[in-house]
Amino acid sequence: MNALQPRNVRARLTAWYVAVLAGVLLLYVGGASALVFFQLRSELDRFGIDDLETIEGLLSFGADGKLALHSDYHDHPYPANMQDRLLEVWSGDASLLYRNELLGNRVLGEKPETGEGAEGYSIRSIRMSDGTPARVVSKKHLLDGQPTLIRVGYSEEPLWQHFWQIAIGMIAGLPLALGLAGMGGYFLARHSLSPIERMARRVNEINAERLSARLVVENPDDELGVLAKAFNETLARLEGSFEQLRRFTSDASHELRTPLTAIRSVGEVGLQKQGAIEDYRETIGSMLEEAGRLSHLVDSLLMIARAESGQVRLVRTTISLLPFVRETASVLDVLAEEKGQHVSIRGDETVQVQADGAILRQVLINLLDNAIKYSPSGAPISMRVSMSSDDQMAAVGIADNGPGIPPEHRKKIFDRFYRVDEGRSREAGGTGLGLAIAKWGAEAHGGQLDLQCPAAGGCIFRLRLPVAGRTSVKIRSEALTAVQVHSEAPTDTLQASVVFFRH
Amino acid sequence: MRLAAKVTSKRNGGLRILLVEDEQKVAKALQEGLEAESYSVTLAHTGEDGFFRISSEPFDLAVLDVMLPGRSGIEILSAMRRQGIKIPVLLLTAKDAIEDRVLGLDAGADDYLVKPFAFPELSARIRALLRRGKSEAAVVALSMADLQMDLLGRTVTRGATTLDLTAREFELLEYLLLHNGQVVSREMLARDVWRETARHTPLDNVIDVHIARIRRKVDDGFSPKLVHTVRGVGFVLKAERL
Repeated sequence: MNALQPRNVRARLTAWYVAVLAGVLLLYVGGASALVFFQLRSELDRFGIDDLETIEGLLSFGADGKLALHSDYHDHPYPANMQDRLLEVWSGDASLLYRNELLGNRVLGEKPETGEGAEGYSIRSIRMSDGTPARVVSKKHLLDGQPTLIRVGYSEEPLWQHFWQIAIGMIAGLPLALGLAGMGGYFLARHSLSPIERMARRVNEINAERLSARLVVENPDDELGVLAKAFNETLARLEGSFEQLRRFTSDASHELRTPLTAIRSVGEVGLQKQGAIEDYRETIGSMLEEAGRLSHLVDSLLMIARAESGQVRLVRTTISLLPFVRETASVLDVLAEEKGQHVSIRGDETVQVQADGAILRQVLINLLDNAIKYSPSGAPISMRVSMSSDDQMAAVGIADNGPGIPPEHRKKIFDRFYRVDEGRSREAGGTGLGLAIAKWGAEAHGGQLDLQCPAAGGCIFRLRLPVAGRTSVKIRSEALTAVQVHSEAPTDTLQASVVFFRH
Repeated sequence: MRLAAKVTSKRNGGLRILLVEDEQKVAKALQEGLEAESYSVTLAHTGEDGFFRISSEPFDLAVLDVMLPGRSGIEILSAMRRQGIKIPVLLLTAKDAIEDRVLGLDAGADDYLVKPFAFPELSARIRALLRRGKSEAAVVALSMADLQMDLLGRTVTRGATTLDLTAREFELLEYLLLHNGQVVSREMLARDVWRETARHTPLDNVIDVHIARIRRKVDDGFSPKLVHTVRGVGFVLKAERL
């Protein structure tokens, strides 16, 4: 079977083409021959009826009471011809009255069937005793007051001969026609498939180093154009992720190198100088701090790697968002207190989400920590839980009153290791992964994390999560819930932040 | 430091620990650290050696690395459990995949620690494992120098002064007092005091702020200073200078 299977698409297409064409042509030959056959036969039937009418006039009982065919009937143009017909006449009581010489011992069917020829002419095909196919026309006829049945028959052999002549003649021409069609088909197939070969050659030239190459789209609307476009899109995506990976690898090695360099240089310098035991403790402590940072970084990278390969399975529970935000934010209270910042948390008490508590907590902590870190001392920070009416998403907005983020940084802010201000956040102990992890966390829940920077200043990070429902008791709490008020924030700034949020 | 060693030597003297770890540097460091706490430590560098030691000598506790040349820590563990050796076992693993933990605990480990870990953490886990099973009188009061903590009344005094601590600060101070003279790492505080599943940078900052506040309340205007930061390692409550 496999040996018969043509190897390339060209040959396969041609083979199919030829096979289908052969089938169609055979049907055509059969159909055409049959059509000719049936036409000739219906012509024969008409002749039969004519003849039968003639014969009716030629038949009469002789003096001896025997039925005879008068071949000299003057009114009829071909009385002699009537001798060529196969002719039988049966009496009303089903005894044979006449059988002409041409028939000899053969019969045109057995005794008359009931109803045969009773109403007009009955026409049928029979096979005579010597196997000759024949067409028989019969009719009842009153002859000299006696009911008789006249049967006229013709051999169908000439018809069949004609049929086979036509059929065989046409079939004989088939191989030539198929051969020509096959060649034409093969040529056409090769021609229309040649762009694929060109594409294959081009694709072979593309590798990880040359991902920027693209296929030439000759006609964007035909099938090959669609394929080429799809392939180009895939290439673009691949190139994008390769680029991301390359950047990530180089960023990660840079980030890992920073604490390693610190450990090395601190150690080397510490070893060179002759110091008191206190100095050595200081040196070792500093090295340990960097080692801690390094292991922390590795942990975060591992978490991201696991998240990106889809190994993190979310354990979802129903979470009432506002209390959850309050509880989570309370962990960072002291950090805000230290900077004299006031964190206000308010919003819709009823919003619930289906979320993995640990991950959602991490997301919220990263966002709030970010807001605390980048807001100046004494500036208010507000968190608000709400529900957008249009798309059934729960939203947590975290608005700070920091310096804002310049437009050119906004897009990259969620990139791993991206820092708006290199030195500052590293000093603050950040890994540069907090927002990347937060964004991943939001997306893992089918949500989004985006950033808006109003012209008035500050930033609003908006975390949107698919809503799970609302608690049945609707308590809309618009009251300001102060989690911790460390230093009295002036009322006007607080109100400003509220108004700010409402628009 | 010498005083602390004396204190712990009374506590840990004579307790034998088998440490199976192929990484020479780590093994050496852990051995020295544990010996400084007056445990008697036997070192094995391969799985075979470790298994031979454990089947031929009596130990009070074993620390097994999971990734070992030859037999893995988990194989040794199952083999010794099959032999009926019931001493507590602490597994050290470089992978924190949940399957690994489950595998280890199924094989009969009593506890596990993911590398890299802070030494105080290892030391605290070992103490906890050795303490396990021994009934202890419920602690109702803790003290160090003139710092007194009443766990029932939830009050803290330093000398004659009552200290005003928040709930979190109280818990933190209690934890430091319970680890009497032992360094506690930020990981331990995050897990045991804050009960956070994941350690993260913001939490480290939170811990630092709380320590600073406790230090202010406990030590400002008093002598000796009790709250000390061991740079790069963690915090310790001690009556003498480091």
